[in-house]
Amino acid sequence: MIANTTVSTPLVTLVGPPNSGKTTLFNLLSGKNFKTVNYPGSTIEYNSSHFLPKFDINCNLLDSPGIISLVPSSPDETITINSLYEHPKFGIPKLVIVTVDSSQLSRHLLLVKQLLSSNFSVIIVLTMADILKKKGFTISASMLEEKIGCKVVKIDGRTGKGIEDLITVVKQQLQKENDEVTYLNKIVPNLHAENVLNHFKEIEAIENEVVNQIADEKDLRRANEKLTTLSQKLQSKPDSFTLKLDKILLHPIWGLVLFLFITGAMFTSIFWLALPLMELVDESFASLANLASNYFGYNWYGDLISDGIISSAGAVLIFVPQIVILFLILGFLEDTGYLARGAMLIDKPLSKIGLNGRSFVPMLSGFACAIPAILAARTISNRKERLLTIFIIPLMSCSARLPVYALLIAFIIPKENFLMGGFIFSFIYLFSIISSVIIAGIINKFNKSIIREEDNSSFILELPAYKIPRFSSVYRNTISSTKAYLKEAGPVIITFSIILWALTYFPNTNPQIDITNLSPEEVHEVQKMERVSTSYAAQIGKFTEPIMKPIGMDWRIGVSLISAFVAREVFVSALVLIFKITGDEETLRDSLLNAMRNAEIEGTNQKLFTPSTILGLIVFFVFAMQCLSTVAVAKKETGSWRIPILQILIFSGFAYFAAFITVNGLRLLGFA
Amino acid sequence: MKTAANLNFGEKAFITAIDETHPSFRRIIEIGFTPGQEIELVNKSIFNDPLAFSLRGTVIAIRKNEAESIILS
Ligand SMILES: Nc1nc2c(ncn2[C@@H]2O[C@H](COP(=O)(O)OP(=O)(O)OP(=O)(O)O)[C@@H](O)[C@H]2O)c(=O)[nH]1
Ligand SMILES: [Mg+2]
Repeated sequence: MIANTTVSTPLVTLVGPPNSGKTTLFNLLSGKNFKTVNYPGSTIEYNSSHFLPKFDINCNLLDSPGIISLVPSSPDETITINSLYEHPKFGIPKLVIVTVDSSQLSRHLLLVKQLLSSNFSVIIVLTMADILKKKGFTISASMLEEKIGCKVVKIDGRTGKGIEDLITVVKQQLQKENDEVTYLNKIVPNLHAENVLNHFKEIEAIENEVVNQIADEKDLRRANEKLTTLSQKLQSKPDSFTLKLDKILLHPIWGLVLFLFITGAMFTSIFWLALPLMELVDESFASLANLASNYFGYNWYGDLISDGIISSAGAVLIFVPQIVILFLILGFLEDTGYLARGAMLIDKPLSKIGLNGRSFVPMLSGFACAIPAILAARTISNRKERLLTIFIIPLMSCSARLPVYALLIAFIIPKENFLMGGFIFSFIYLFSIISSVIIAGIINKFNKSIIREEDNSSFILELPAYKIPRFSSVYRNTISSTKAYLKEAGPVIITFSIILWALTYFPNTNPQIDITNLSPEEVHEVQKMERVSTSYAAQIGKFTEPIMKPIGMDWRIGVSLISAFVAREVFVSALVLIFKITGDEETLRDSLLNAMRNAEIEGTNQKLFTPSTILGLIVFFVFAMQCLSTVAVAKKETGSWRIPILQILIFSGFAYFAAFITVNGLRLLGFA
Repeated sequence: MKTAANLNFGEKAFITAIDETHPSFRRIIEIGFTPGQEIELVNKSIFNDPLAFSLRGTVIAIRKNEAESIILS
């Protein structure tokens, strides 16, 4: 019964060239909050929803990745376009709404032409009429309707003006098409080139008729200045502000300097802006944990609640401010239109190591999280370059590493030395970028055995006009990404922390110790230490001892590193559970740091955490492939286990090797 | 033979043909580089590759070897 209704619910699909405003329209129609960004290729998956109830249209609504033409140039586009003809879940679209950027009519109507000749039932939505107007032109929807032969509606994506008209037209079309059976034609690729040229000829003729100079005198003068000397009235130039700004931002030397400055400033500010907020989160969780342990007392459930849940959750939540700031800065950068420039600037250097300018955006989002980044690699049409991009994305310093680095840096740099912390932080980023470039180069050399693909490499990217970022949409994107992130990572972290707590608490829940001359607090501390070192975690950890010993560490770090495989940030929770004994200090982190300073390698009086082991750990985290969700996504996106398994073997193997060199090298040089 | 790769900064020219044997031929025409269109070189990246052209009211960046397939009058 239910299956029946879903099958019969008609489907309305939104398609259109990249950056033409599909997702903006989708959000207006569905009330959702998907990411809209001034970069061609921001949507990489078919997102589905329904029309808002107030529109009273009972249809599935689909947003799609941008396509230039119905003839695919890469395997990914093949999938995209096939699901337009027949979506695996929702079937054949009853109606296709195609967004067309009014200021790019002559390029964007190609897809419309192809859709019409494939027999789709089409409605054109003209977006960005405001931009066309700035250039001194207007567009006539009714004229276009007449010339091209399908319904045309104008919509302002920023204000939502015109939505009501669109709804009316959608309803009409849905009714009309109700009992007709349409057969869709696929475009035959051999005849394609000739068809494209013919389509363009027709489109140019149409454009000449439907786009007109604004008659207003002042506007006319302005428009006239922008016309080329040619008699062709529609030789409209690209946005002049954009051209001017690009003279600087794409300058062969200054452009590169600015590029390095912009990305550098971004990573440094993450640390500096977030630090005060992090302290705040930390302090609140510390007092909460203290409150809980005072309230419940020193027993197993008090321990579970204060350490297993509150402290470990706090250890992770502390870096939410950093994530939010990272998302905000990235969002602003994306919405200005700068990212496409970054991709262009870096295409040549990247192509030397087997990547593509289009790898830039996925790699940059890899600094937030590897999962969306791996998905974003779909915009790279060359399969080898795409796989290589996916391969090295886990090396980008993702936000899950933030709490780990923040803790480790705090161990070696005193809190007062604020500036130094920020620099070390930026240095870690720089180090991870340089090493991933080198690793990409090496892997590219072994392409035949690792990636095993080779095809035509290409870089064709539209540089969208610069826009002033809209705070509201950046803000909404940030909030929803952060929420999505917490929803993804939160449950995993909490569940795993509880498991870990149990492993460190049992079986020796009430260890027998000599309590003569000890205060109740001290009894609690000694008991806890004894309990941990005889726990299940210790028994498991003992297996890691032979591996940990050469890098100057013991089973306790071994267990923490194993838990970091679930998600990197769990490392911090694990340290809390294993090392933190008292909650005397003002912040959670201070009590953890204190405990770490006192920790000694078992059976010796050698300190466990020293500058060299700390640096060794940082180096380990730079390289190691540790996140289960990343492994799963890499498997899904590459279509086999080969790449994720190689990533684990190569990256984690190298991480261990590099940590070994760091720790022992520093010790040879006389550091502790 | 003059191609889009030989254009100087700010120089404009009309496209006469596209090399059909180039592997990116289809994408190049689909994105709008078709005979009869006027293009202008507006930006070059470091190492002079990729090149950015103004075309049909927008700016499109393509690699130098792709620009070589765009034949100008
Ligand atoms: N000025 C103006 N900007 C708009 C309009 N509609 C959308 N935009 C902006 O255009 C940019 C692209 O919009 P998206 O909705 O992400 O475009 P898309 O077609 O989904 O893009 P892809 O997913 O990359 O294919 C965003 O910065 C929007 O804010 C409009 O009518 N006028
Ligand atoms: Mg989109």
